[in-house]
Amino acid sequence: MTTANEVLSSIQSALPGAVLDSRVESERRLWATIDPRKIVDVCKYMRDKLSFDHYSGTAGLDWIAKNEMEVVEIMASHGAHQVVAMLKVRTPRENPSVKSLTGLFWNANWYEREAWEMLGIKFEGHPGLYPLLLPDELVGSWPWRKDFKGYPDLTTGQRAVEIPTSDGYTRYMIPPTTMEIEAGTVPTERPKYPSLREREEMELKSDSEMIMHMGPQHAMVPGPFLLDVLVEGETVKKAFLDLGYIHKGIEKIMENRTWLQGITYTDRMCYVASLSNNECYCGAVEKILGLEVPERAQYIRVILEELSRIQSHLIGTGEFLTLIAGVGYAPWQYMIIDRERIISLIESVTGARLTHTFVRFGGVRNDLPEGFSEKCRSTLKYMESEINEFIELFEQDPIYHLRMDNVGIITPDDAKRMGVSGPPLRATGVAYDIRKEDPILLYPDLDFKVAVGTRGDCADRIDVRLKEMLESIHIIEQCLDRIPAGPIKTEAKIPKKIPAGEAYYRVEDPRGEMGMYVVSDGGDKPYRVKVRGPFYATFQTLPPLLEGVFIADVVAIAGSMDGCPSEADR
Amino acid sequence: MVGIIESISSFASTEPAAFAFIISIIGVAIIAGVVNVGAMLVIWAERKVLGDFAARYGPNRVGGRWGVLQLGADAIKLFTKEDTIPYSADKAVYVWAPIVASMATMLVAAAIPFGALHINGRNYPLVVANMDISALYVEAALSIMAIGVFMAGYSSNNKYSMLGAFRGIARMIAYEVPMGVCVISVAIMAHSLNLVEIAEGQTLWYIFAQPLGFLIFFIALITDLGRIPFDQSEAEEEIISGYNTEYSGIRWGLLYFQEYNNMLLGSILLTVLFLGGWQGPIIPIPVLDIVSPLIWLLLKVIIVMWSLVWVRSALLRLRIDQVTDLGWKWMLPLSIVNLLWAVAIGSYFA
Repeated sequence: MTTANEVLSSIQSALPGAVLDSRVESERRLWATIDPRKIVDVCKYMRDKLSFDHYSGTAGLDWIAKNEMEVVEIMASHGAHQVVAMLKVRTPRENPSVKSLTGLFWNANWYEREAWEMLGIKFEGHPGLYPLLLPDELVGSWPWRKDFKGYPDLTTGQRAVEIPTSDGYTRYMIPPTTMEIEAGTVPTERPKYPSLREREEMELKSDSEMIMHMGPQHAMVPGPFLLDVLVEGETVKKAFLDLGYIHKGIEKIMENRTWLQGITYTDRMCYVASLSNNECYCGAVEKILGLEVPERAQYIRVILEELSRIQSHLIGTGEFLTLIAGVGYAPWQYMIIDRERIISLIESVTGARLTHTFVRFGGVRNDLPEGFSEKCRSTLKYMESEINEFIELFEQDPIYHLRMDNVGIITPDDAKRMGVSGPPLRATGVAYDIRKEDPILLYPDLDFKVAVGTRGDCADRIDVRLKEMLESIHIIEQCLDRIPAGPIKTEAKIPKKIPAGEAYYRVEDPRGEMGMYVVSDGGDKPYRVKVRGPFYATFQTLPPLLEGVFIADVVAIAGSMDGCPSEADR
Repeated sequence: MVGIIESISSFASTEPAAFAFIISIIGVAIIAGVVNVGAMLVIWAERKVLGDFAARYGPNRVGGRWGVLQLGADAIKLFTKEDTIPYSADKAVYVWAPIVASMATMLVAAAIPFGALHINGRNYPLVVANMDISALYVEAALSIMAIGVFMAGYSSNNKYSMLGAFRGIARMIAYEVPMGVCVISVAIMAHSLNLVEIAEGQTLWYIFAQPLGFLIFFIALITDLGRIPFDQSEAEEEIISGYNTEYSGIRWGLLYFQEYNNMLLGSILLTVLFLGGWQGPIIPIPVLDIVSPLIWLLLKVIIVMWSLVWVRSALLRLRIDQVTDLGWKWMLPLSIVNLLWAVAIGSYFA
C-alpha cells in the first residue's frame, strides 16, 4: 500500500525541485505546493507512474492578503492506493495564469472553465475557455474573488457601493439612479469568445440537420440545464450542454455565513441527498478541528445516510423510468410510495423531510426517537421485499431490456478517464466506492459489498442502484444491532472561530463521489468552500455519450445518470 | 302521434331514397353524440383506472368523491382557453388538422355497429351505414386519422411536431398493413365484409379460431391509437407532445378527444371482429331482454379498454426503430401466416 510519504519522496526524487513545500497530513492525505512551471510534469508523472488516474477537480482560491491566487488540483487513484494528493500552484493576482491539465485529464475541462469564469484564472492550453455557469454578459466580473462587490448594473454599468448596517456586516447595493442612459454608451469590456448559439451553428453541415432543444424547458430534464442536440432525422450527431440555470452561488454564500450556518446551505445543494452533503461539510470542519465524533453519533449518521441513499436511489430510478414509460407507469408510483416510508422514517429523527440540517460538528443534532429501531427494522423488511420485486419485474420485462440493454455503454477505461463516479462508474465493473476506498465514520467496521455491473449500460446502472439499496439495508441492520448508548455530541467545545487550516473530505453520495475542500483563515466564516459534486463530473460525460444515438436514447442515457442539476450548479 | 307515424311511413314508401338520407343524417347526429359523450366517460374512466393501478385515487374533487364532473370542468377550461396559432404556422392546414382528424373518427363511427336491439327474437343492429364492405371501409377510414396527425405536425412549423408527425406516419404504415391483413383473415372466415354479419356469424369467437390474428390486431390497434408502448408520435419526455405541441384550447381538445373516440371505436371494432360482437345469452327480463345485446357489447368493450389502460400502466415505450422493426419483421409475416391459417380452416366456418 502506497502512503502519502512514499508518494512525496517518489515525486521529489523523480522531479527534483518541483515540490516547493509539502505537508503530509496523514497516510491518505498529501498537500504539496508545486512549481507552476512543472505542474504538468508532476501530474503526468503521478498519473503514469504513481497511478493517480482519478482527477477529482480544481479549486481556485483568492489570497487577497498575499496578493496571489492559488489553484489546488485534487487527485486520487481508482483503487491502486488510498492517497489523495492536493497539489497547489500559486500565481500572482494580476493576470493570474496557470498551465491547464486538460491534456492529461479529459475531465479537467469543466473544472478549469469554472475556475476561470469565477476567479479569472486563465488556464494556458485549455481548448475552450467559455463560460459554463455564468451567463455570457456577467463574465469578467470574477464573482468569487474576495474584492467582488456585486455585478454591475447591466444597463448603467454602475458598480455597487458599500452600505453599512447596524448588525456589523457590510452590504453592497447599486445606488438608485436618475441618469438617463443612451444605448451603447455603457463600456462593455468582456473577453471575446463565440456564444453557445454560434458554436452550435458552426457544427451545422447540411440542410437535413437541425438543432433541437432538450432543455432547460423540456419534459426530460430533472432540473433546468441546457441540452441542445444536433439531429439528422432521429439520430443525434452532436450534443451541447450548458449549466448555470439554477446556479445559486452556494460556495460564495458560505464564505459570508458563519461556520454553523453553512450546514443549512449544504442541504440546498441537492435536497435529495442532503444528509451526505451535511456529512461532507461537517466532516471537513471536524478534520480541521481534529474532533473525534462519539460512537453513537457515528452510528446515527451512518443509519441516516444509508436511509437517505435508499430514498435517493428510489426516486432516481423511478424518475428515470417515467422518462421512458410516461407518467402513467405504475412501478414509478410504487417507488414513490416506498420512498415516502423512508422519508417519514428520517423525518421522525430529523424533523424535516428533505432539508435536514441534522449533522453537526462533532455529532448530530438530536438522538433517535423512542421505538425507532423497531419501526426502522419493519420498514427495512418491507423495503427488501419491494426491491426484490422490482429486480424481478425488470428482469422479466422484455421491453425494459429492449430499451435499456446496450444503451449508453461506458467502458471502464472511459469511465475512469472521464471522472465518472458512483453508480454509473460501478455499472461498468469498477468497484470504486468511497466507503471502501477512503472510509469515514464506522464504514471500515461494517460488512457490505460494493455492487458492480458488467456492461456499463442503462440496465446496469439501474441494477447497481437496486443492489446498493439492498446493501444499504444490510448496513443499517448491522448498525441497529450494534448501536451503543452514549453521548451524541462531542464533549469538546466547538469554537466560534475555527483555527486556520484546510481539509479535503470525501463521502460516497448517492450519485457518486462528493468531496469538499474547506479552508479556514481563523475567522468565524469559512475562507473558501469548494464542492466537488458527483453529478458535475458525470454530467460532463453526457455530450460524448450522446453522439450517434437516437433521440429516445438521449432521454434514456441522460436519465440513467440520476441527474441533479441543482447539485451540479450549486 | 299515430298521424305522425303514418305520414312518416307513407313518406318512406313513396320516397325511399330521401327517407334513407334523412335517417342517415339523424343517425350520424346521434352517433356523434354517443361517441363524444362516450369518449368523455372513457377519459374519466381511464384516469380512475390508471390511478387505481398506481395506488392513487384519480380525480376525486369535482363532483363528489368519484370526481364525475372533472371532465365537464376540463371541457369548460378547454373551450375558454386562448386559441393560439403560431406566427409561422401554415394557418389553413393548422386550423383544418383537428377537424380532419375528428372527421375521420366520425367516418369510422358511421360504419361501426354499436350493438343491437333484441325485439321479438330478432336482432336489429344499431348501425348508421350498414354497408356490404364496412370492414374494408373502416380500415380505410382509420388511416385518414394519420393524415390529420401529419397535417397537425407539419403545419405547426415546430421541430418536435415535425418529428412527431414523421414518427406517426412511419408507425401507421408499418402497422396498418398487418391490421388490414387481420381484418381480411376475419372476413375470409366470416365469408363477409359486413361488420354486422361478421359479428352475428361467429359461432366460435374468432379470438379462439385465430388467436394469432387477435394478438396482432390488438397490438396494431394499440399502435393505431398511439398509446404506450407505441406513443412515439407524442412521446412527452422526448419531443414534448409531438404533433400537437403547438395546439391549445379547443383545437388541442379536438385532437385529444379524437384519441379517446378512437379508443372507444377501436375497442368496439375489436369486439365485433374477434369477441363475438354483441353475442351473449338473452336476459329473460322484460325490458332488459331488448337491450341485452347492448349490455354484452358494453361489457366486452369495457374489458378491452381496461386492458388497454393496464398495458399503459405496465409497459415502457419502445423506440421508433424498434417499433418499425417489430411491425415489418414480425407483425407482417405473422399476419400473413394467420391469413393462410384463416384460408385453410375458413371453409369449416361457412
